[in-house]
Amino acid sequence: MDGESPPGKPDNIKCRSPEKETFSCWWEPGSDGGLPTNYSLLYKTEGKNSYSECPDYKTSGPNSCYFDKKHTSIWTMYTIIVNATNELGTTTSDPQFVDVAYIVELRPPLNVTLSIIDDPPHLLVKWSPPSKADVKSGWVTVEYEVRFKSKKAQEWETLDAGKQRQLRVFSLNPSENYIVQVRCKSDHGFWSMWSPESYIQIPDNFPRKD
Amino acid sequence: PICPNGAVNCQISTSDLFDRAVKLSHYIHSLSSEMFNEFDEQYAQGRGFIMKSIDTCHTSSLNTPEDKEQAQQIHHDDLLNLVLRVLRSWNDPLGHIVTEVQGIREAPDTILWKAVEIEEQTKRLLEGMEKIVGRFHPGDLGNEVYSLWSGPPEKQITDENSRLYAFYHLLHCLRRDSHKIDNYLKLLKCTLMHGSNC
Repeated sequence: MDGESPPGKPDNIKCRSPEKETFSCWWEPGSDGGLPTNYSLLYKTEGKNSYSECPDYKTSGPNSCYFDKKHTSIWTMYTIIVNATNELGTTTSDPQFVDVAYIVELRPPLNVTLSIIDDPPHLLVKWSPPSKADVKSGWVTVEYEVRFKSKKAQEWETLDAGKQRQLRVFSLNPSENYIVQVRCKSDHGFWSMWSPESYIQIPDNFPRKD
Repeated sequence: PICPNGAVNCQISTSDLFDRAVKLSHYIHSLSSEMFNEFDEQYAQGRGFIMKSIDTCHTSSLNTPEDKEQAQQIHHDDLLNLVLRVLRSWNDPLGHIVTEVQGIREAPDTILWKAVEIEEQTKRLLEGMEKIVGRFHPGDLGNEVYSLWSGPPEKQITDENSRLYAFYHLLHCLRRDSHKIDNYLKLLKCTLMHGSNC
């Protein structure tokens, strides 16, 4: 049959956990060989010899697998492979080794609010922890970063807020419009996306930035 | 508050002890992660060590919680003692890591420095944890000598590659266990010091 072949190798398997309790993996399909192609994700955990199949192909969207709490163990090495199968054969991805402890990527912080404080003149940035992450119990410890820039500027200025949920910014130019964003990460994970842009106009009577 | 100079019966609060323990455990895990990543980049690329690293760690018999529910269901006394056990079970291996690093060809000083620093700070953390456990259960430190580690797997070390793998696996387990200790301590601190309202 012209132009038809076994499927290409799936690759770029990427896994992330939003709160160190569940996790998802995504993959990029290879070529389909000109034929209808099915994908299956198989995994085995440390100490187990046999593979199990992905428990949920839907929750995390196309070409994905979602592991709920029941299927998620921390500090355990998962060996993950993806098979692509069509009429002419099956092709298997390279194995991906994952420990959920090291793939935590939180959602962005929530409810970013900006307020001008008069005495001394400065900008107060406040936010709430990201959704899903259980910060209250201490299961997830979060650190934050704030970045801001004048609309006219090219470069962002970034400040480390540590574990605080607010930050005071003093070095601002009067009468300029500023953009502010906040991001976070669990103590040993990946940085989240930046929060949506928040805007504020700095009053004319603010002391000029030195 | 730190004890003022000359104070006689000044006792550091348990909350301060916990703060220090969490700072130390966070620092130890960060160093362990950096040391593992550095060694992995310099010595493990292309050797397929990660595939073999699903071998069990010497502490795997300790039955540590592997998710949030398990960690929250275990009584805090038991979790505190578990942290103590894991810490104690690293006493000998950390000494071995410091010695072994010096025998690895062209091992950068930064790996050796981290190994020495981790060994030092782990001892401090163990002392702090013994104080904390002593606060909850005076006189019940269960000071049993803990040696889950049976030393480097001599029989399996037949060449340079197997020797590097044995070291890689130890660093992999150190990174994992230091992360567990850090996570459990943060959980305990929130539960015991802040009523789960961190």
